[in-house]
Amino acid sequence: MKHERRGQGLSLPMLLRRSLLHRRSRTLAELVSLTVSAAVATALLTLYASLDLKLHHQFRAFGANIVITSQNAGQPLPPDALAIALQAAGPDSRVVPFAYAIAQMQDGSSIVVAGTDLTGARATDSWWQVSHWPENNQATPVQVLTGVRAAKALGAERFSLTYNGKSVPLQTAGTVRTGDAEDSRIYLPLDAFESWTGVTPTTLEVQAAGSTRQIQAVLERLRLALPGSNVQAVHQLVEAEANVVSRTRSLMLSSLVLILLTVAICVLATLTASVLERRRDFAVMKALGATQRHVGLLFLLEAFVLAMVGLLCGYVLGCGIAYLIGEWNFHTAIFPVWRIAPQVALLNLLVAVLAAAIPLRILRHLEPATLLRGE
Amino acid sequence: MFPRLIMESFLRQRRRKLLAALAILLGTTAVTAMLAIGTSVGDKMNRELAAYGANIVVYPAADTLDVQVDGINIRPATAGSYLKEADLVKIKNIFWRNNITDISPELPLTVTVRTANATQQVPATGYWFHHALRSGDASWTMGAPALHPWWKLQGSWPSSGGNAIPNEIAVGSDLARQLHLHLGDTLEVQNQPERVAGIVSTGDATDHTLLVPLALAQAWMGRPGVVRRVYVSALTKPEDALARKDPDKLSPKMHDRWYCSPYANSIAYQIEETLPHTRAEQIRRIAQGESTILSRISGLMLLVALAALLAAALAVAASMTTAIVERRQEIGLMRALGATRNTIAGLFFTEITLLALGGGLLGYLLGSLLAGRIGEQVFGSSIAFNPMLLPATLLLAVVVSLAGSAPSVWQAMKMEPATILREDA
Repeated sequence: MKHERRGQGLSLPMLLRRSLLHRRSRTLAELVSLTVSAAVATALLTLYASLDLKLHHQFRAFGANIVITSQNAGQPLPPDALAIALQAAGPDSRVVPFAYAIAQMQDGSSIVVAGTDLTGARATDSWWQVSHWPENNQATPVQVLTGVRAAKALGAERFSLTYNGKSVPLQTAGTVRTGDAEDSRIYLPLDAFESWTGVTPTTLEVQAAGSTRQIQAVLERLRLALPGSNVQAVHQLVEAEANVVSRTRSLMLSSLVLILLTVAICVLATLTASVLERRRDFAVMKALGATQRHVGLLFLLEAFVLAMVGLLCGYVLGCGIAYLIGEWNFHTAIFPVWRIAPQVALLNLLVAVLAAAIPLRILRHLEPATLLRGE
Repeated sequence: MFPRLIMESFLRQRRRKLLAALAILLGTTAVTAMLAIGTSVGDKMNRELAAYGANIVVYPAADTLDVQVDGINIRPATAGSYLKEADLVKIKNIFWRNNITDISPELPLTVTVRTANATQQVPATGYWFHHALRSGDASWTMGAPALHPWWKLQGSWPSSGGNAIPNEIAVGSDLARQLHLHLGDTLEVQNQPERVAGIVSTGDATDHTLLVPLALAQAWMGRPGVVRRVYVSALTKPEDALARKDPDKLSPKMHDRWYCSPYANSIAYQIEETLPHTRAEQIRRIAQGESTILSRISGLMLLVALAALLAAALAVAASMTTAIVERRQEIGLMRALGATRNTIAGLFFTEITLLALGGGLLGYLLGSLLAGRIGEQVFGSSIAFNPMLLPATLLLAVVVSLAGSAPSVWQAMKMEPATILREDA
């Protein structure tokens, strides 16, 4: 008895190796299926885990999602509002001040001039189609960004505008087209605007980053920090964003479940067939005196080894696929998410062990002699 | 002989066939569902994104500059030119008419409001609320509420009053608070009594204005049948390199392609064509943002569908390999009995093709049903059967099954029949 047990202990790894190497094409097919299932699970779960972040990032294309104005429409904000807002909004958010005045053109008609941080506007308002951004802040005449409709009304590149009896020469550095109110305006750097008109910012546009909840948190912080001002989320953006993100999430989730289920069942079927096919080995082993437990152990160990190797290859492959999808689709990399590894491992091991256990249960009650004699 | 062999094979080896067929069925189901979702997600998301509001604006070409600050236009009402309300139905007759989901004209003006204790000037805008637009037999309900789904209404939208001048208005929430107005109150606007039918909260400058039926605004202004600008919401295709080209500089063939693609730019171009003396422009903030989101989400789903396709192909191929390895003995026996390699290959490949066609067809049906269910769950509207996917799915099923089984069949035929037969005996 003792002798036999030692013999078993010695021969199990060898048995395992022989068994895996002997049927190379079948082992390879099983390994491929297990690798595929792990790779697909890894890629999809990684994508799903990073989906929110990537999508919310895309929604920044719509520009500012919070607008701060004074309680009384048209009144300037307190002078320190910009500094307070910048601090309250946090480092991930952008804050761009806007000041407006209505100036007169030479023919006496009105035109809206706006003072802003042009660098900030350039970063938040990505949809502005600008022919050339004004670069030199110190130049005289002041370099401005002119809306396409305003440019048409003005006629010339160099012009002067009057505000409160004070006339200044300006020069168009480039035009902006948005299809909206901006087309009829002229944008100046904020300090040039303030020294001309004496008007200080009336609006702060805040582009808060992150999920709907994070935007809500920024909104609360801004409300606390600027109690005298009107802090409002741009409803249309925030609501539609939450809606689209949640729908994409559920779409991704149903795809994920569908694909994983399909792959898992296919792999299960492959492995089950492969084990069933070896009922002769099983019978021989039993006829030679191996117990049900020994044989079961061998089969399970085989499945385990295959699943682990498949898991390793699949995880690496899946991370690669997720990274590539991120690069192609979102133009930013999607990095491996470690916390999904246990889920992938669980799935793979479950499939492999089930695939070994189901046929074993079927074979358990068969007599070796019946098996060896034929079907 | 040959058909009988195949029939016998199907009748006698049901379990083995079942396994291979199951793999093909599952694979094609997943692939069909994913492809159906991937190809229709753009359309579905487009409708979700319509919640962002209009993506095209139409205004008179001869119009003066907007004098708009904080969303309120302070241009004198007399300045500038107008569009004709009666012309707007023509927007529903352009090439991409079915992509136009909403048309909302606006007529801004400043009115005098008198309440119990004060008289003041207030900005007001005339809108369609639920306007029935008719062209021939077709009829659509259009207006501002559909274009601005984020507007929160208390009470009801003012009725348009039929042929008479309406006497109901809606009030922006901030203005209502400032004037102490409640639902059902009556206030005097331009010396006429008006009932407050609704109070609207929009989160932007509209909260400081009156929202009135278009006919009422026209009556106050003394200019029946005019509108200042029109906002249009259209389902569009994400902008690509072609979309940004100037249509008048394209070759005739490219111009046709540009014209027949539902870009925001080409829809705006077609609106300008049907409404002379107007400018139609894409509202870039909305159009560009939508375009970015749309291409990312459709791209993502297509890539996921591609990944599903690859995974399903590999899983099916692996199943086929196993299924053939199981039947090596059969091949050995046939060869021992004198069958040529061609006969055996023909037999096996016909069997597999039949299996793939059957499994593929069933998989296509199941997958389409599944996609429909998922569409209903996620978007509240089903995803229609896409007949284009059927040939693609069948072809894929056949190719993958053959590719998966061919190596094992060849390998089995290369071996000596005696070796195979002895191996397991």
